Amino acid sequence: MHWLRFAVLVLLATVLQASFFADLNSKPDLLLILLVFFAVYCDTSDAIICSFVIGFAADLIGQTMGPQMISYGIFGSALAYIHRVITIRKIPYQIVAIFITALLAGSLACLLNFLKGEPSPPKIYAPLFGIALYSSIVGPFLFLPSAWWMRIRKPGRFGRR
Amino acid sequence: MAWKHITVSRRMLFIWCMLAGFIVLLSPKNLTSKFQFAFTYVFRWPLSIGRNISLSAATRQPLGDKDTVSRDEYERLLNHLANITQQRDDAQRTIQKLSKMRNTPAWERMSFVLSDVITVSIDNLRGELIINRGKEDGLEKDLFVLADNSIIGTISDVGTRSARVRLFTDPASITKVRIGNNKLMKGCGNNQAKVEMLKEKVKIDTKIMASKIPGFLDTPMIIGKVVRCEHNDQPLLWDITVEPVCDIQKIESIHVIVMNPSE
Repeated sequence: MHWLRFAVLVLLATVLQASFFADLNSKPDLLLILLVFFAVYCDTSDAIICSFVIGFAADLIGQTMGPQMISYGIFGSALAYIHRVITIRKIPYQIVAIFITALLAGSLACLLNFLKGEPSPPKIYAPLFGIALYSSIVGPFLFLPSAWWMRIRKPGRFGRR
Repeated sequence: MAWKHITVSRRMLFIWCMLAGFIVLLSPKNLTSKFQFAFTYVFRWPLSIGRNISLSAATRQPLGDKDTVSRDEYERLLNHLANITQQRDDAQRTIQKLSKMRNTPAWERMSFVLSDVITVSIDNLRGELIINRGKEDGLEKDLFVLADNSIIGTISDVGTRSARVRLFTDPASITKVRIGNNKLMKGCGNNQAKVEMLKEKVKIDTKIMASKIPGFLDTPMIIGKVVRCEHNDQPLLWDITVEPVCDIQKIESIHVIVMNPSE
């Protein structure tokens, strides 16, 4: 795992998400796409660390610190474990993986925000669905340049530690 | 010094990371928000560039007929404004004479802190700005924020050199406004806010004023305009949808209102 390249990629995604995509109504979540990418392309231990770090980055540009770190960490780790059993190699599988992870991680983050006492919007499911949909459409096309940047070959079902 | 290779099981790794997550989650907000402000401050330059690209990419709408007025009409309105201003000043002088006391207009007791916008986040879930002024510039929580001479929100979080502005359209925002008497306007995301349960129908394009809050806003100021007026679930009651009177996505600088500054 090239951690310096990982840091650059996550910082780039965080800055883009907070600036270029910040004032769009319908937008993909670049950090969530990276979460699924690292869960699918890295070995399980690295995927766990990546999930929590990406969650921390999402919190830096979010409403409050903590909820996304936990939700991304849990669902990124879960996806990495699932990938040990079911290979998420084809694009349709990747689309489904991004969509479901976005919905679950977003819902848990909203719940944790609510439990922390932060004001939360009354209707969260429509925006969450939109983010999940756009992320799942854009996501698989970002996997290839991300894999090139990270010097990672295609994921193999039996090649994981 | 030789490096010792430490092997940690995946389960322990996950538990440690979860523990770190819960520590961050349960830490006081004024402590954790320092991380957010530090990130914004360190990366303010690339963040501004990203926003400028986003603004440049947005196509400029051509001016429609309703957005333009003729030169004659403009002169007429300007003259009308001058007359009204003169009448107001006369009325002010008359009030002072009658009351025998000096009455300083509210706007003369205001101080404005000019600030640049670093990032804008407006979607269904959030409506907020990050600005490059903070405690060092005299900002405090709950101060009102102006853009294009209209209220757009309040300061919700203050760092040393940056602050977060919660727009009145943020789903977590509640603002007191004047429509007949005082009502509460709730943000509903997507650059809109709602005032519910009004007894009378309100015309489209009616200007909505933010109510005065002593110490923060000593005079009512324009906050938005009505874009929709619909029947409430209950008969005889109306809900109105309000939008900002300025294009928040394109603003580059804002003014924070500091009432009765010490200096």
